[in-house]
Amino acid sequence: MANPEITCVTVIRLRDVTLTLVASETSYQMDDLILRIAETQDQKAFVELTVLAAPRLKAYAIRCGSHIDDAEELVQECLLTVWRKAHQFNPKTARSTTWLYTIIRNRRIDMGRKNKLDIVQSDDLWPEAESDLLEDDVVRDLTGNLVRTLLYSLPDEQRQIVFKVYFEGKSHSEIAGELDLPLGTIKSRLRLAMKKLDTLAKEQVSWLTIILIMNF
Amino acid sequence: MAHYHPNHELLMQFAAGQLGDALGIMVACHLESCAECRQTSKHFEHLGGDILESLDSVDISPDFVSRTLAKITEAALVEVKLANVAEKSTKSVSQFPKPLQRFLPDSLDQLSWYGFSKNIQQFDLSFSDKRYTAKFYKIKAGKELPQHTHKGQEFTLVVDGAFSDEGGSYHKGDFILADPTIKHQPKAHADADCICFAVMDAPLQFTGFFGKMLNPFMR
Repeated sequence: MANPEITCVTVIRLRDVTLTLVASETSYQMDDLILRIAETQDQKAFVELTVLAAPRLKAYAIRCGSHIDDAEELVQECLLTVWRKAHQFNPKTARSTTWLYTIIRNRRIDMGRKNKLDIVQSDDLWPEAESDLLEDDVVRDLTGNLVRTLLYSLPDEQRQIVFKVYFEGKSHSEIAGELDLPLGTIKSRLRLAMKKLDTLAKEQVSWLTIILIMNF
Repeated sequence: MAHYHPNHELLMQFAAGQLGDALGIMVACHLESCAECRQTSKHFEHLGGDILESLDSVDISPDFVSRTLAKITEAALVEVKLANVAEKSTKSVSQFPKPLQRFLPDSLDQLSWYGFSKNIQQFDLSFSDKRYTAKFYKIKAGKELPQHTHKGQEFTLVVDGAFSDEGGSYHKGDFILADPTIKHQPKAHADADCICFAVMDAPLQFTGFFGKMLNPFMR
């Protein structure tokens, strides 16, 4: 698993507390491109975004079981949705990667389901657009950048299980069967992974509270 | 405020877009009324974004960019809205959580309830779910279900009223998970009928004497 280019590092010193905010350049670049699409329907920005995002969106489609020929159709659906809904994107409340993730997830669910009244669609599951985000999400979102760096520091055996949930829709007991491990082992590995991610998120929240109080 | 919540496994699967139709709708209904779980589920969406960004790139076809650009320049596309089925049936006043409204009439009275007794009635929801069946149960105020256990897993969301069993007292918005180790006898609170949305992977197994006689009817 390659580490993505992590290039934007902001170091903030507060008395004896040193806070390092790390964000990947890709994420910032995409924020900017989506905003340009929203403001001026900038086709050049759309092309740049496509070049930047499509290869990983395609990887997601394939990991989720798309046939290699259908994967690009799903990616295209996702990008067309980005074009149409760019005005709903708010970088203050969501990172572009998370926003793109929710879009491709929803398009994946809806592929082949259009206009079928008795079948659940993504709009049923997530009836509110991203606009219902709360203040808390801003904090949560800033922490997201650091959570990502932690994702790489998880042991392979833990990350593998997280990925199986996201890509293959496996329940804990199904993963246990597949890896030939006791259910308890799967649960404890996932718990360890989440604990590691959560600990970091919590630390960040308290640091951010300090920053907000200090009016940075 | 709900006191019983879906576990993190379910919330993660939900955010991953990997829950089946029936269970997905049920979790969505709970999230509508539970800010805490909504927040947790957002957290798992961020993790989804992290995972997306961590993937190794896969080469795209040489003409992919130009094909996609051609699609957005078709003037019509800007005007064409994706068939948004959910919008078509926006109800003004509905007794149900929003994620369920499209699949149901406006009020509980309009459901075609059926059942062997006036005290316990049910209504089947037909989702295209391969694994789980979805039902509504209505337990008359103050009445109870025969003692039963579950062959598989059963998830229950209280939609209206309240009920109690050996494990606790459950109110509107509560999300309860019962598995084969639980044997219980839910009783509706005395002040109102209790309506529950239930999703299960196997029919209930009644365990008491009268309960056993009822088994063949409860499919």
